[in-house]
Amino acid sequence: MSTSTNILSIKNIEVTYDNVILALHDVSLKVPKGKVVALLGANGAGKSTTLKAVSTMLASERGKVTKGTIEYDGTSIEKQNPSQMVGLGMVQVLEGRRCFGHLTVEENIIAGAYSRKLSKGDINQELEKIYTYFIRLKERRKSQAAFTSGGEQQMIAVARAMMAKPKMLLLDEPTMGLAPQLVAEIFNIVKELNQKEGVSILLAEQNTNVALKNSDYGYIIETGRVMLDGTAQSLLSNDQVKELYLGISKKGRKNFRDVLKEESLTKKKIN
Amino acid sequence: MVEELLFFMEVLVGGLLAGTMYSLVALGFVLIFKASATFNFSQGAMVFFSVLAFVGFMQDFNIPFVLAFILAALLMVVVGLCTERFVLRPLMNASEDTVLMATIGLGYVLEGLAQAAWGVEVRRLDLGIGDFPVPWIADNLKLFISALDITAGLVAAIMIIGLFLLFKYTKIGLGLRAVADDAGAASSIGIPLKHIMLLVWSAAGVVALVAGCMWGARAGVQFALVDLALKALPVLIIGGFSSIPGAIIGGLIIGAVEKVLEVYIGPFFGGAIEGWAPYVLAIFFLLYRPEGLFGEKIIRRV
Repeated sequence: MSTSTNILSIKNIEVTYDNVILALHDVSLKVPKGKVVALLGANGAGKSTTLKAVSTMLASERGKVTKGTIEYDGTSIEKQNPSQMVGLGMVQVLEGRRCFGHLTVEENIIAGAYSRKLSKGDINQELEKIYTYFIRLKERRKSQAAFTSGGEQQMIAVARAMMAKPKMLLLDEPTMGLAPQLVAEIFNIVKELNQKEGVSILLAEQNTNVALKNSDYGYIIETGRVMLDGTAQSLLSNDQVKELYLGISKKGRKNFRDVLKEESLTKKKIN
Repeated sequence: MVEELLFFMEVLVGGLLAGTMYSLVALGFVLIFKASATFNFSQGAMVFFSVLAFVGFMQDFNIPFVLAFILAALLMVVVGLCTERFVLRPLMNASEDTVLMATIGLGYVLEGLAQAAWGVEVRRLDLGIGDFPVPWIADNLKLFISALDITAGLVAAIMIIGLFLLFKYTKIGLGLRAVADDAGAASSIGIPLKHIMLLVWSAAGVVALVAGCMWGARAGVQFALVDLALKALPVLIIGGFSSIPGAIIGGLIIGAVEKVLEVYIGPFFGGAIEGWAPYVLAIFFLLYRPEGLFGEKIIRRV
Protein backbone atom coordinates (compact mmCIF):
# COMPACT_ATOMS: atom_id res chain seq x y z
CA MET A 1 0.00 0.00 0.00
CA SER A 2 1.49 3.35 -0.94
CA THR A 3 1.29 6.15 1.61
CA SER A 4 -1.01 8.30 -0.48
CA THR A 5 -3.90 5.90 -0.05
CA ASN A 6 -3.67 6.18 3.72
CA ILE A 7 -5.20 9.28 5.21
CA LEU A 8 -3.64 8.42 8.55
CA SER A 9 -0.62 6.39 9.42
CA ILE A 10 0.71 5.93 12.91
CA LYS A 11 4.16 4.38 13.24
CA ASN A 12 5.41 2.89 16.48
CA ILE A 13 4.17 5.59 18.81
CA GLU A 14 4.84 5.64 22.52
CA VAL A 15 2.81 7.97 24.74
CA THR A 16 3.50 9.04 28.30
CA TYR A 17 1.38 11.08 30.68
CA ASP A 18 3.02 13.47 33.15
CA ASN A 19 6.39 12.26 31.83
CA VAL A 20 6.12 9.04 33.84
CA ILE A 21 3.01 7.04 33.08
CA LEU A 22 3.54 4.99 29.97
CA ALA A 23 0.13 4.65 28.31
CA LEU A 24 1.10 3.39 24.85
CA HIS A 25 4.13 1.19 24.26
CA ASP A 26 4.13 0.59 20.59
CA VAL A 27 1.12 1.30 18.43
CA SER A 28 1.15 1.34 14.65
CA LEU A 29 -1.90 1.58 12.50
CA LYS A 30 -3.17 2.83 9.19
CA VAL A 31 -6.46 4.26 8.07
CA PRO A 32 -6.96 4.04 4.29
CA LYS A 33 -8.82 6.93 2.69
CA GLY A 34 -12.57 6.52 2.83
CA LYS A 35 -12.51 3.45 5.07
CA VAL A 36 -13.79 2.69 8.55
CA VAL A 37 -11.19 1.31 10.92
CA ALA A 38 -12.06 -0.02 14.37
CA LEU A 39 -9.74 0.19 17.32
CA LEU A 40 -10.78 -2.45 19.81
CA GLY A 41 -9.77 -3.32 23.31
CA ALA A 42 -10.80 -3.29 26.95
CA ASN A 43 -10.85 -0.37 29.37
CA GLY A 44 -7.42 1.16 29.78
CA ALA A 45 -5.98 -0.62 26.74
CA GLY A 46 -5.02 2.72 25.18
CA LYS A 47 -7.78 3.35 22.64
CA SER A 48 -8.61 6.86 23.83
CA THR A 49 -4.96 7.73 24.19
CA THR A 50 -4.29 6.67 20.60
CA LEU A 51 -7.15 8.86 19.33
CA LYS A 52 -6.03 11.81 21.41
CA ALA A 53 -2.49 11.44 20.15
CA VAL A 54 -3.87 11.74 16.62
CA SER A 55 -6.10 14.76 17.33
CA THR A 56 -3.31 16.37 19.42
CA MET A 57 -5.71 16.66 22.35
CA LEU A 58 -3.10 14.86 24.45
CA ALA A 59 -1.30 18.06 25.30
CA SER A 60 -4.24 19.36 27.29
CA GLU A 61 -4.05 16.25 29.47
CA ARG A 62 -0.32 16.47 30.01
CA GLY A 63 0.27 13.61 27.65
CA LYS A 64 3.02 13.49 25.04
CA VAL A 65 4.02 11.35 22.09
CA THR A 66 7.56 10.39 23.09
CA LYS A 67 8.45 8.06 20.22
CA GLY A 68 7.23 7.30 16.74
CA THR A 69 5.45 9.39 14.14
CA ILE A 70 1.91 10.24 13.18
CA GLU A 71 1.21 11.30 9.63
CA TYR A 72 -2.12 12.73 8.59
CA ASP A 73 -2.87 13.46 4.95
CA GLY A 74 0.80 13.29 4.08
CA THR A 75 2.16 15.61 6.79
CA SER A 76 3.40 15.12 10.32
CA ILE A 77 1.04 16.36 13.02
CA GLU A 78 3.80 16.93 15.54
CA LYS A 79 3.59 20.71 15.71
CA GLN A 80 -0.19 21.05 15.37
CA ASN A 81 -2.79 21.96 17.98
CA PRO A 82 -6.40 20.76 18.12
CA SER A 83 -7.88 23.77 16.37
CA GLN A 84 -5.30 23.48 13.57
CA MET A 85 -6.16 19.81 13.22
CA VAL A 86 -9.82 20.73 12.83
CA GLY A 87 -8.75 23.18 10.17
CA LEU A 88 -6.97 20.34 8.39
CA GLY A 89 -10.16 18.30 8.44
CA MET A 90 -9.63 15.99 11.39
CA VAL A 91 -12.24 16.13 14.14
CA GLN A 92 -12.46 14.03 17.26
CA VAL A 93 -15.74 13.15 18.95
CA LEU A 94 -14.69 12.80 22.54
CA GLU A 95 -15.63 9.96 24.82
CA GLY A 96 -18.77 10.65 26.84
CA ARG A 97 -20.34 12.83 24.11
CA ARG A 98 -19.54 16.13 25.86
CA CYS A 99 -22.38 18.26 24.51
CA PHE A 100 -22.69 21.88 25.50
CA GLY A 101 -25.47 21.30 28.01
CA HIS A 102 -26.79 24.82 28.31
CA LEU A 103 -26.93 25.37 24.56
CA THR A 104 -29.79 24.17 22.41
CA VAL A 105 -29.35 21.18 20.13
CA GLU A 106 -29.10 23.46 17.11
CA GLU A 107 -26.61 25.81 18.78
CA ASN A 108 -24.48 22.78 19.61
CA ILE A 109 -24.44 21.72 15.98
CA ILE A 110 -23.78 25.23 14.68
CA ALA A 111 -20.86 25.54 17.11
CA GLY A 112 -19.25 22.74 15.11
CA ALA A 113 -18.89 25.10 12.16
CA TYR A 114 -16.91 27.58 14.25
CA SER A 115 -13.65 26.89 12.47
CA ARG A 116 -15.18 27.56 9.05
CA LYS A 117 -15.92 30.97 7.64
CA LEU A 118 -19.53 30.56 6.62
CA SER A 119 -22.34 33.00 6.06
CA LYS A 120 -25.67 32.58 7.86
CA GLY A 121 -27.19 31.15 4.68
CA ASP A 122 -24.36 28.65 4.24
CA ILE A 123 -24.75 27.54 7.85
CA ASN A 124 -28.46 26.94 7.40
CA GLN A 125 -27.79 24.98 4.24
CA GLU A 126 -25.21 22.83 6.05
CA LEU A 127 -27.62 22.37 8.93
CA GLU A 128 -30.34 21.07 6.66
CA LYS A 129 -27.88 18.63 5.14
CA ILE A 130 -26.80 17.41 8.57
CA TYR A 131 -30.43 17.00 9.63
CA THR A 132 -31.00 14.58 6.76
CA TYR A 133 -28.68 12.19 8.58
CA PHE A 134 -29.93 13.03 12.06
CA ILE A 135 -33.68 13.30 11.57
CA ARG A 136 -34.32 12.90 15.27
CA LEU A 137 -32.23 15.99 16.08
CA LYS A 138 -34.28 18.16 13.78
CA GLU A 139 -37.34 17.48 15.89
CA ARG A 140 -35.46 18.45 19.02
CA ARG A 141 -33.51 21.38 17.59
CA LYS A 142 -34.82 23.88 20.15
CA SER A 143 -34.34 21.71 23.27
CA GLN A 144 -31.53 22.32 25.68
CA ALA A 145 -28.90 19.67 24.97
CA ALA A 146 -28.52 18.65 28.60
CA PHE A 147 -32.12 17.44 28.63
CA THR A 148 -31.84 15.15 25.61
CA SER A 149 -31.31 11.41 25.89
CA GLY A 150 -27.94 9.69 25.78
CA GLY A 151 -28.47 8.53 22.19
CA GLU A 152 -29.49 12.01 21.10
CA GLN A 153 -26.46 13.49 22.80
CA GLN A 154 -24.23 11.10 20.89
CA MET A 155 -25.93 12.18 17.67
CA ILE A 156 -25.41 15.84 18.63
CA ALA A 157 -21.72 15.16 19.19
CA VAL A 158 -21.32 13.48 15.79
CA ALA A 159 -23.47 16.07 14.01
CA ARG A 160 -21.44 18.85 15.63
CA ALA A 161 -18.22 17.27 14.42
CA MET A 162 -19.65 16.88 10.89
CA MET A 163 -20.36 20.62 10.74
CA ALA A 164 -16.60 21.17 10.61
CA LYS A 165 -16.63 19.32 7.26
CA PRO A 166 -14.06 16.76 8.30
CA LYS A 167 -12.12 14.48 5.99
CA MET A 168 -11.59 12.20 8.93
CA LEU A 169 -13.57 11.54 12.10
CA LEU A 170 -12.20 10.04 15.29
CA LEU A 171 -15.01 8.50 17.31
CA ASP A 172 -14.26 7.57 20.88
CA GLU A 173 -16.69 4.92 22.13
CA PRO A 174 -19.73 6.29 20.32
CA THR A 175 -22.05 3.62 21.69
CA MET A 176 -21.02 3.72 25.32
CA GLY A 177 -24.00 3.13 27.60
CA LEU A 178 -26.56 3.00 24.81
CA ALA A 179 -29.34 0.48 24.30
CA PRO A 180 -28.72 -2.05 21.47
CA GLN A 181 -31.30 -0.44 19.20
CA LEU A 182 -29.56 2.92 19.54
CA VAL A 183 -26.17 1.32 19.01
CA ALA A 184 -27.43 0.05 15.66
CA GLU A 185 -28.90 3.46 14.82
CA ILE A 186 -25.64 5.27 15.60
CA PHE A 187 -23.63 2.82 13.52
CA ASN A 188 -26.05 3.16 10.62
CA ILE A 189 -25.53 6.91 10.66
CA VAL A 190 -21.76 6.52 10.89
CA LYS A 191 -21.78 4.11 7.98
CA GLU A 192 -23.95 6.46 5.95
CA LEU A 193 -21.66 9.42 6.65
CA ASN A 194 -18.72 7.31 5.58
CA GLN A 195 -20.33 6.25 2.31
CA LYS A 196 -22.15 9.41 1.27
CA GLU A 197 -19.76 12.05 2.57
CA GLY A 198 -16.60 10.02 2.03
CA VAL A 199 -15.36 10.64 5.58
CA SER A 200 -12.64 8.28 6.75
CA ILE A 201 -13.33 7.00 10.23
CA LEU A 202 -11.22 5.68 13.07
CA LEU A 203 -13.41 4.50 15.92
CA ALA A 204 -12.55 3.17 19.33
CA GLU A 205 -15.03 0.65 20.68
CA GLN A 206 -15.52 -1.95 23.35
CA ASN A 207 -18.52 -3.22 21.50
CA THR A 208 -16.37 -5.53 19.37
CA ASN A 209 -19.04 -7.36 17.47
CA VAL A 210 -21.04 -4.37 16.23
CA ALA A 211 -17.89 -2.36 15.59
CA LEU A 212 -16.32 -5.04 13.38
CA LYS A 213 -19.55 -5.63 11.50
CA ASN A 214 -19.54 -1.96 10.53
CA SER A 215 -15.84 -1.57 9.81
CA ASP A 216 -13.44 -2.47 7.01
CA TYR A 217 -10.43 -3.17 9.15
CA GLY A 218 -9.73 -3.72 12.83
CA TYR A 219 -6.92 -3.41 15.34
CA ILE A 220 -7.03 -5.01 18.75
CA ILE A 221 -4.91 -3.35 21.40
CA GLU A 222 -4.08 -4.53 24.87
CA THR A 223 -2.02 -2.69 27.49
CA GLY A 224 -0.76 -0.14 25.01
CA ARG A 225 0.25 -2.56 22.24
CA VAL A 226 -1.38 -3.71 19.03
CA MET A 227 -1.95 -7.42 19.59
CA LEU A 228 -3.76 -8.32 16.43
CA ASP A 229 -4.98 -6.68 13.27
CA GLY A 230 -6.74 -7.69 10.11
CA THR A 231 -9.75 -7.10 7.93
CA ALA A 232 -12.99 -6.91 9.87
CA GLN A 233 -14.12 -10.16 8.25
CA SER A 234 -10.97 -12.04 9.24
CA LEU A 235 -11.16 -10.76 12.82
CA LEU A 236 -14.80 -11.73 13.12
CA SER A 237 -13.95 -15.26 12.13
CA ASN A 238 -10.72 -15.43 14.12
CA ASP A 239 -11.06 -18.00 16.90
CA GLN A 240 -9.07 -16.01 19.44
CA VAL A 241 -11.12 -12.89 18.86
CA LYS A 242 -14.28 -14.94 19.03
CA GLU A 243 -13.30 -16.40 22.34
CA LEU A 244 -11.80 -13.36 24.02
CA TYR A 245 -13.82 -10.48 22.64
CA LEU A 246 -17.02 -11.92 21.31
CA GLY A 247 -17.58 -14.59 23.96
CA ILE A 248 -18.30 -17.23 21.33
CA SER A 249 -16.43 -20.41 20.58
CA LYS A 250 -17.03 -23.56 18.66
CA LYS A 251 -18.35 -25.17 21.80
CA GLY A 252 -20.73 -22.31 22.47
CA ARG A 253 -20.55 -19.36 24.84
CA LYS A 254 -17.57 -19.04 27.05
CA ASN A 255 -16.07 -16.40 29.32
CA PHE A 256 -12.55 -15.17 29.75
CA ARG A 257 -11.86 -17.37 32.78
CA ASP A 258 -12.69 -20.51 30.86
CA VAL A 259 -10.28 -19.54 28.16
CA LEU A 260 -7.51 -19.01 30.67
CA LYS A 261 -8.26 -22.36 32.30
CA GLU A 262 -8.14 -24.04 28.94
CA GLU A 263 -4.83 -22.38 28.14
CA SER A 264 -3.23 -23.50 31.38
CA LEU A 265 -4.50 -27.01 30.71
CA THR A 266 -2.95 -27.08 27.24
CA LYS A 267 0.29 -25.67 28.68
CA LYS A 268 0.34 -28.48 31.23
CA LYS A 269 -0.22 -31.00 28.49
CA ILE A 270 2.70 -29.57 26.52
CA ASN A 271 4.92 -29.65 29.59
CA MET B 1 -48.26 60.64 54.30
CA VAL B 2 -47.48 61.80 50.76
CA GLU B 3 -44.28 63.32 52.05
CA GLU B 4 -43.23 60.00 53.55
CA LEU B 5 -44.08 58.10 50.42
CA LEU B 6 -42.11 60.52 48.32
CA PHE B 7 -39.17 60.17 50.67
CA PHE B 8 -39.36 56.39 50.44
CA MET B 9 -39.51 56.58 46.65
CA GLU B 10 -36.49 58.81 46.67
CA VAL B 11 -34.53 56.43 48.84
CA LEU B 12 -35.60 53.49 46.68
CA VAL B 13 -34.86 55.09 43.33
CA GLY B 14 -31.57 56.44 44.64
CA GLY B 15 -30.71 52.95 45.86
CA LEU B 16 -31.69 51.31 42.59
CA LEU B 17 -29.59 53.71 40.58
CA ALA B 18 -26.63 53.35 42.94
CA GLY B 19 -27.18 49.63 42.48
CA THR B 20 -26.49 49.89 38.77
CA MET B 21 -22.98 50.98 39.76
CA TYR B 22 -22.59 47.64 41.54
CA SER B 23 -24.05 45.93 38.49
CA LEU B 24 -21.38 47.48 36.31
CA VAL B 25 -18.64 46.05 38.49
CA ALA B 26 -20.40 42.68 38.74
CA LEU B 27 -20.63 42.47 34.95
CA GLY B 28 -16.87 42.16 34.67
CA PHE B 29 -16.90 39.25 37.10
CA VAL B 30 -19.69 37.50 35.21
CA LEU B 31 -17.86 37.72 31.89
CA ILE B 32 -14.82 35.94 33.25
CA PHE B 33 -16.81 33.48 35.32
CA LYS B 34 -18.72 32.44 32.22
CA ALA B 35 -15.60 31.57 30.27
CA SER B 36 -13.16 30.31 32.92
CA ALA B 37 -15.51 29.25 35.72
CA THR B 38 -13.32 31.30 38.02
CA PHE B 39 -14.13 34.15 40.35
CA ASN B 40 -11.70 36.80 39.18
CA PHE B 41 -10.34 38.36 42.35
CA SER B 42 -8.35 40.82 40.30
CA GLN B 43 -11.47 42.50 38.89
CA GLY B 44 -11.31 45.19 41.62
CA ALA B 45 -7.67 45.82 40.80
CA MET B 46 -8.60 46.02 37.11
CA VAL B 47 -11.17 48.70 37.92
CA PHE B 48 -8.55 50.66 39.86
CA PHE B 49 -5.81 50.09 37.30
CA SER B 50 -7.91 51.09 34.30
CA VAL B 51 -9.48 54.23 35.68
CA LEU B 52 -6.20 55.39 37.23
CA ALA B 53 -4.53 55.00 33.86
CA PHE B 54 -7.40 56.89 32.24
CA VAL B 55 -7.11 59.78 34.70
CA GLY B 56 -3.33 59.63 34.51
CA PHE B 57 -3.38 59.97 30.71
CA MET B 58 -5.60 63.03 31.02
CA GLN B 59 -3.90 64.78 33.91
CA ASP B 60 -0.24 63.90 33.47
CA PHE B 61 -0.05 63.89 29.69
CA ASN B 62 -2.85 66.33 28.88
CA ILE B 63 -4.44 63.87 26.50
CA PRO B 64 -8.01 64.81 25.64
CA PHE B 65 -10.89 62.94 27.28
CA VAL B 66 -12.00 60.70 24.43
CA LEU B 67 -8.49 59.78 23.33
CA ALA B 68 -7.49 59.02 26.92
CA PHE B 69 -10.51 56.75 27.25
CA ILE B 70 -9.60 54.90 24.07
CA LEU B 71 -5.98 54.57 25.22
CA ALA B 72 -7.09 53.22 28.59
CA ALA B 73 -9.40 50.73 26.85
CA LEU B 74 -6.51 49.62 24.61
CA LEU B 75 -4.34 49.27 27.68
CA MET B 76 -6.93 46.93 29.17
CA VAL B 77 -6.81 44.84 25.98
CA VAL B 78 -3.03 44.61 26.46
CA VAL B 79 -3.61 43.56 30.08
CA GLY B 80 -6.01 40.89 28.79
CA LEU B 81 -3.40 39.76 26.28
CA CYS B 82 -0.70 39.47 28.93
CA THR B 83 -3.06 37.71 31.33
CA GLU B 84 -3.90 35.12 28.70
CA ARG B 85 -0.28 34.61 27.72
CA PHE B 86 1.46 34.66 31.10
CA VAL B 87 -1.20 33.53 33.57
CA LEU B 88 -3.93 31.52 31.89
CA ARG B 89 -2.00 29.63 29.23
CA PRO B 90 0.60 28.16 31.61
CA LEU B 91 -2.28 27.16 33.92
CA MET B 92 -4.36 25.64 31.16
CA ASN B 93 -4.68 22.23 32.78
CA ALA B 94 -4.63 23.45 36.35
CA SER B 95 -7.66 23.19 38.60
CA GLU B 96 -10.11 26.06 38.98
CA ASP B 97 -8.76 26.73 42.47
CA THR B 98 -5.28 27.30 41.10
CA VAL B 99 -6.61 29.79 38.59
CA LEU B 100 -8.52 31.50 41.39
CA MET B 101 -5.32 31.91 43.40
CA ALA B 102 -3.58 33.21 40.31
CA THR B 103 -6.21 35.95 39.93
CA ILE B 104 -5.49 37.07 43.50
CA GLY B 105 -1.83 37.38 42.57
CA LEU B 106 -2.70 39.16 39.36
CA GLY B 107 -4.70 41.65 41.43
CA TYR B 108 -1.66 42.55 43.53
CA VAL B 109 0.47 42.95 40.42
CA LEU B 110 -2.05 45.33 38.85
CA GLU B 111 -2.45 47.36 42.06
CA GLY B 112 1.30 47.67 42.38
CA LEU B 113 1.82 48.58 38.73
CA ALA B 114 -0.91 51.21 38.84
CA GLN B 115 0.53 52.89 41.90
CA ALA B 116 4.09 52.66 40.65
CA ALA B 117 3.10 54.34 37.41
CA TRP B 118 0.67 56.97 38.60
CA GLY B 119 1.36 57.52 42.29
CA VAL B 120 -0.78 56.92 45.35
CA GLU B 121 -2.71 60.15 45.88
CA VAL B 122 -6.46 60.35 45.35
CA ARG B 123 -7.29 61.89 41.97
CA ARG B 124 -10.39 63.68 40.91
CA LEU B 125 -12.19 62.49 37.83
CA ASP B 126 -14.53 64.97 36.19
CA LEU B 127 -16.81 63.39 33.64
CA GLY B 128 -18.70 66.63 33.18
CA ILE B 129 -21.71 65.04 34.86
CA GLY B 130 -22.57 66.45 38.25
CA ASP B 131 -23.20 64.24 41.26
CA PHE B 132 -26.16 66.38 42.36
CA PRO B 133 -29.94 66.20 41.86
CA VAL B 134 -31.27 66.92 38.41
CA PRO B 135 -33.33 70.12 38.74
CA TRP B 136 -35.97 69.07 36.19
CA ILE B 137 -36.78 65.84 38.05
CA ALA B 138 -36.65 67.60 41.40
CA ASP B 139 -39.14 70.23 40.20
CA ASN B 140 -41.57 67.97 38.40
CA LEU B 141 -41.48 64.70 40.32
CA LYS B 142 -40.27 66.04 43.64
CA LEU B 143 -37.56 63.39 43.68
CA PHE B 144 -33.93 64.24 44.27
CA ILE B 145 -31.94 61.99 41.97
CA SER B 146 -28.31 62.49 41.04
CA ALA B 147 -27.41 63.02 37.40
CA LEU B 148 -24.44 60.69 37.84
CA ASP B 149 -26.73 57.92 39.07
CA ILE B 150 -28.96 58.33 36.04
CA THR B 151 -25.95 58.25 33.74
CA ALA B 152 -24.65 55.12 35.44
CA GLY B 153 -28.05 53.52 34.97
CA LEU B 154 -28.09 54.36 31.28
CA VAL B 155 -24.53 53.19 30.72
CA ALA B 156 -25.25 49.95 32.54
CA ALA B 157 -28.36 49.41 30.42
CA ILE B 158 -26.43 49.96 27.18
CA MET B 159 -23.66 47.60 28.21
CA ILE B 160 -26.09 44.88 29.25
CA ILE B 161 -27.97 45.06 25.98
CA GLY B 162 -24.72 45.07 24.06
CA LEU B 163 -23.31 42.07 25.89
CA PHE B 164 -26.60 40.21 25.68
CA LEU B 165 -26.68 40.65 21.90
CA LEU B 166 -23.02 39.66 21.66
CA PHE B 167 -23.55 36.44 23.61
CA LYS B 168 -26.81 35.44 22.00
CA TYR B 169 -26.44 36.32 18.35
CA THR B 170 -22.78 36.42 17.33
CA LYS B 171 -20.45 33.64 16.37
CA ILE B 172 -17.92 34.65 18.99
CA GLY B 173 -20.71 34.69 21.58
CA LEU B 174 -21.65 31.14 20.67
CA GLY B 175 -18.00 30.13 20.97
CA LEU B 176 -17.84 31.80 24.34
CA ARG B 177 -20.88 29.97 25.66
CA ALA B 178 -19.52 26.71 24.29
CA VAL B 179 -16.21 27.22 26.07
CA ALA B 180 -18.08 28.10 29.27
CA ASP B 181 -19.94 24.78 29.08
CA ASP B 182 -17.08 22.46 28.17
CA ALA B 183 -13.72 23.89 27.20
CA GLY B 184 -12.34 20.49 26.15
CA ALA B 185 -15.21 19.73 23.81
CA ALA B 186 -15.04 23.27 22.44
CA SER B 187 -11.40 22.85 21.55
CA SER B 188 -12.11 19.43 19.99
CA ILE B 189 -14.31 21.09 17.37
CA GLY B 190 -11.79 23.79 16.65
CA ILE B 191 -12.91 26.70 18.81
CA PRO B 192 -9.62 28.43 19.68
CA LEU B 193 -9.58 28.82 23.47
CA LYS B 194 -6.80 31.38 23.21
CA HIS B 195 -8.92 33.86 21.28
CA ILE B 196 -11.94 33.35 23.51
CA MET B 197 -9.93 33.95 26.68
CA LEU B 198 -8.30 37.01 25.19
CA LEU B 199 -11.67 38.40 24.20
CA VAL B 200 -13.23 37.76 27.58
CA TRP B 201 -10.42 39.31 29.57
CA SER B 202 -10.27 42.33 27.31
CA ALA B 203 -14.02 42.80 27.52
CA ALA B 204 -13.85 42.47 31.31
CA GLY B 205 -11.07 45.09 31.28
CA VAL B 206 -13.15 47.56 29.31
CA VAL B 207 -16.17 46.92 31.54
CA ALA B 208 -13.87 47.57 34.52
CA LEU B 209 -12.82 50.87 32.96
CA VAL B 210 -16.43 51.98 32.54
CA ALA B 211 -17.32 50.95 36.08
CA GLY B 212 -14.19 52.69 37.32
CA CYS B 213 -15.18 55.92 35.58
CA MET B 214 -18.55 55.92 37.32
CA TRP B 215 -17.15 55.13 40.74
CA GLY B 216 -14.16 57.41 40.27
CA ALA B 217 -16.42 60.33 39.42
CA ARG B 218 -18.33 59.76 42.64
CA ALA B 219 -15.69 58.80 45.17
CA GLY B 220 -12.46 59.92 43.58
CA VAL B 221 -9.97 57.66 41.87
CA GLN B 222 -8.31 55.94 44.78
CA PHE B 223 -7.13 52.64 46.13
CA ALA B 224 -10.44 52.08 47.95
CA LEU B 225 -11.97 51.22 44.55
CA VAL B 226 -10.32 47.82 44.84
CA ASP B 227 -12.31 46.94 47.96
CA LEU B 228 -15.43 48.59 46.69
CA ALA B 229 -15.39 46.17 43.80
CA LEU B 230 -15.77 43.32 46.26
CA LYS B 231 -19.31 44.61 46.86
CA ALA B 232 -19.93 42.77 43.63
CA LEU B 233 -19.63 39.51 45.57
CA PRO B 234 -23.07 39.72 47.26
CA VAL B 235 -24.44 41.04 43.98
CA LEU B 236 -23.22 37.91 42.22
CA ILE B 237 -24.40 35.57 44.96
CA ILE B 238 -27.88 37.02 44.65
CA GLY B 239 -27.95 37.36 40.89
CA GLY B 240 -26.01 34.23 39.98
CA PHE B 241 -22.37 34.08 38.95
CA SER B 242 -22.94 33.17 35.35
CA SER B 243 -25.82 35.44 34.46
CA ILE B 244 -25.60 38.89 32.93
CA PRO B 245 -29.21 39.77 33.77
CA GLY B 246 -28.44 38.36 37.22
CA ALA B 247 -25.62 40.85 37.70
CA ILE B 248 -27.99 43.68 36.87
CA ILE B 249 -30.92 42.54 39.03
CA GLY B 250 -28.51 41.58 41.84
CA GLY B 251 -26.97 45.04 41.73
CA LEU B 252 -30.37 46.71 41.81
CA ILE B 253 -31.48 44.57 44.75
CA ILE B 254 -28.31 45.25 46.71
CA GLY B 255 -28.47 48.97 45.95
CA ALA B 256 -32.12 49.30 46.92
CA VAL B 257 -31.95 47.07 49.99
CA GLU B 258 -28.88 48.71 51.45
CA LYS B 259 -30.23 52.22 51.05
CA VAL B 260 -33.70 51.39 52.38
CA LEU B 261 -32.27 49.46 55.33
CA GLU B 262 -29.77 52.21 56.03
CA VAL B 263 -32.49 54.84 56.21
CA TYR B 264 -35.17 52.91 58.06
CA ILE B 265 -33.36 50.36 60.17
CA GLY B 266 -29.89 51.88 60.29
CA PRO B 267 -30.65 54.21 63.21
CA PHE B 268 -31.38 51.22 65.46
CA PHE B 269 -27.89 49.90 64.85
CA GLY B 270 -26.24 53.27 65.11
CA GLY B 271 -26.08 53.66 61.32
CA ALA B 272 -23.60 52.49 58.71
CA ILE B 273 -25.29 49.17 58.07
CA GLU B 274 -24.85 49.78 54.34
CA GLY B 275 -21.45 48.17 54.65
CA TRP B 276 -22.62 44.78 55.89
CA ALA B 277 -26.34 44.46 55.14
CA PRO B 278 -25.69 43.16 51.58
CA TYR B 279 -23.54 40.37 52.94
CA VAL B 280 -26.29 39.30 55.36
CA LEU B 281 -28.67 39.12 52.42
CA ALA B 282 -26.06 37.14 50.50
CA ILE B 283 -25.84 34.61 53.33
CA PHE B 284 -29.59 34.01 53.14
CA PHE B 285 -29.28 33.42 49.43
CA LEU B 286 -26.41 30.99 49.96
CA LEU B 287 -28.57 29.07 52.40
CA TYR B 288 -31.77 28.93 50.40
CA ARG B 289 -30.90 29.53 46.75
CA PRO B 290 -27.20 28.95 46.21
CA GLU B 291 -27.31 29.29 42.42
CA GLY B 292 -28.73 32.80 42.79
CA LEU B 293 -31.79 34.20 41.08
CA PHE B 294 -30.61 33.72 37.52
CA GLY B 295 -27.60 31.44 37.84
CA GLU B 296 -27.46 28.38 35.67
CA LYS B 297 -28.76 25.44 37.57
CA ILE B 298 -26.38 22.57 37.60
CA ILE B 299 -28.04 20.25 35.15
CA ARG B 300 -27.56 16.59 35.79
CA ARG B 301 -29.44 13.88 34.00
CA VAL B 302 -30.55 11.03 36.18
